[in-house]
Amino acid sequence: MKRAVLFLRRIWAFIARDWRLTVSYRMQFFMRVLSVLIVVTTLFFISKIFTGFTDPRFAEWRDPLAAWLTGLAVLNYFMTGFSSLANAVRQEQVQGTLESVLMTPISVPTVIVASSAWDFVQATFFSFLYLLFGWLFFDVHYRGSFLLALVFLLLTTTVLSCLGILSASFAMVFKRGDPFGIFLGAGSALFSGVFFPTQLITQYAGAGLASVSRILPPTYGLDGIRRVLIEGQEFSQVRQPFITLLIFLAVLLPFSLWVFNRAVRRAKREGSLIQY
Amino acid sequence: MSRHEHRSANIADANGNVAVAIDHISKTYPVPFLRLKKLLRRKFKPPVEALRDVTFNVHNGEIFGLIGPNGAGKTTLTKIIATLIQPTAGQVTVNGCDTVLDDEQVRRRVGLAGAEERSFYWRLTAEQNLLFFARLYGLSGAQAKRRIKELFELFEVEELERRRFAELSTGNKQRLAVARAMLANPPVLLLDEPTRSLDPIAAARMRATIKSLARNDADRVTVFLTSHNLAEVEELCDRVAIIGRGRIRALDTPQNLRTTHTTTEQVSITLTSVAAVDAEHALRQAFSDRFFTLGRTTRDQEWAVEFSREAGDETLDSVLRVLQQSGAMIRSVETKRATLLAVLESYDEGDESPRAKS
Repeated sequence: MKRAVLFLRRIWAFIARDWRLTVSYRMQFFMRVLSVLIVVTTLFFISKIFTGFTDPRFAEWRDPLAAWLTGLAVLNYFMTGFSSLANAVRQEQVQGTLESVLMTPISVPTVIVASSAWDFVQATFFSFLYLLFGWLFFDVHYRGSFLLALVFLLLTTTVLSCLGILSASFAMVFKRGDPFGIFLGAGSALFSGVFFPTQLITQYAGAGLASVSRILPPTYGLDGIRRVLIEGQEFSQVRQPFITLLIFLAVLLPFSLWVFNRAVRRAKREGSLIQY
Repeated sequence: MSRHEHRSANIADANGNVAVAIDHISKTYPVPFLRLKKLLRRKFKPPVEALRDVTFNVHNGEIFGLIGPNGAGKTTLTKIIATLIQPTAGQVTVNGCDTVLDDEQVRRRVGLAGAEERSFYWRLTAEQNLLFFARLYGLSGAQAKRRIKELFELFEVEELERRRFAELSTGNKQRLAVARAMLANPPVLLLDEPTRSLDPIAAARMRATIKSLARNDADRVTVFLTSHNLAEVEELCDRVAIIGRGRIRALDTPQNLRTTHTTTEQVSITLTSVAAVDAEHALRQAFSDRFFTLGRTTRDQEWAVEFSREAGDETLDSVLRVLQQSGAMIRSVETKRATLLAVLESYDEGDESPRAKS
């Protein structure tokens, strides 16, 4: 019980700190809200080009605006899961505060969760904003189980957080030039079906390139969420992407924690904890 | 005693009077990706040996000073105690907890105030910064606020509470770093040049605070201090270790270090009511084998006699008697021992013992 209270207290400390740092740059926050509105509006007009689009292969894309907004909202969340820890570590290194944080009696898993906490709060807000603006201004409607979509969202985000932990480990040791960031950042937008159906890759670029999308966890997360929210499918129908995500998690979670511990140990051995 | 037995003895001692036990610590900074560089036949710099076989204990409630030139290994040793760097060999325990195996427990017992200004969040206020770190130490909101208030009062910086860290003077940033180290009331404080950027009055207050922490019987704190201000080290520290090229060159009380360095001291006597010639004559007659210098002071009709003697011998008594018998009135007597700076300078790099002993 005491450990749980301590854990929550530390998470809260990070959230409160980052909230205060964010509001110290007020203009940036309002500009981000505005940019979400601009993106949603732009996508609304582009979607009008596809009015009457009825290819039965792409049922999830019958309403392209709904598909894009879901894709962007979810991608925003996924990218946070993937990049927030590495960014937090890099930022603390650049600021010079990493040593003072690691000087407190805080465990490595707590640092991992706590330093990403504010990014998730922000991602939740902005992802919600994509869906809210779509619903409020452009009549985008979702059906199906929001709870099941949420489970998919959390599962995919956790899988991506594992990759984020690997990315942070890389930042800890090599400081810059993270290959995970390049692969997942650009790769997810192109191969995971954020803006277009992944089947089109097979059709136009061949099965070889299309297989890239199959090794990216966001592909399964996005597919599951769209099928639930846009097509209204039930759990039995989305079991396959769900199980794939669980396999990703079972492999990546212990591996990434092991790598992160080793990275911290290595940085301590080399005395390079605050170098960047 | 074998190394293993010695280590066990140190750990056992740690449960008693020893706050920090440093046992055969060595630290060599490895060459990053050495195997890869060798494989690719790339040039690489040799590994840096920062500490070599360092062993000593810091006792509970002691103010312990570590001095040495730049690059001697002071920061590395401090960071090893703080669990921020892992040693290559050896063991450090803080109140019996190993800095590698029980690092979390060690961090509960240690507060570090470094000289690095960037270790705070510059856009947050002084209070918000301390509040964040207090929560990481596990303090509740109310406990944290109470403790922060106490510390602001202790360091007399109450008016800075709501000022952004970026707006604070260097001295106040330094005080805040010490305050942060004390947030969780740790039994061991590691202070890296705690008065470096403080004005003389603030520095004196900081020294008084450090002294009071270690002398407070109810809640004694052990202080491990590194500093380039040798006068401060002499004033504060019960014991001092001199480190050079990663090795402990000497460890003793400041007084003993000076005595070990040189057994002679310089004596200066000011006198009036006698002509310089008469005083010099009387001294030459009484001490034919000793060298005296005699000169005017800034005051009218006042002279200064200077000579060196073995500390504690009877020369001073005899000289005073001779001068008084020659009609001189003694105004003052001053003895000067070797300073800690002289001791530090005498430990030439690579030497085991002081370079010069006189």
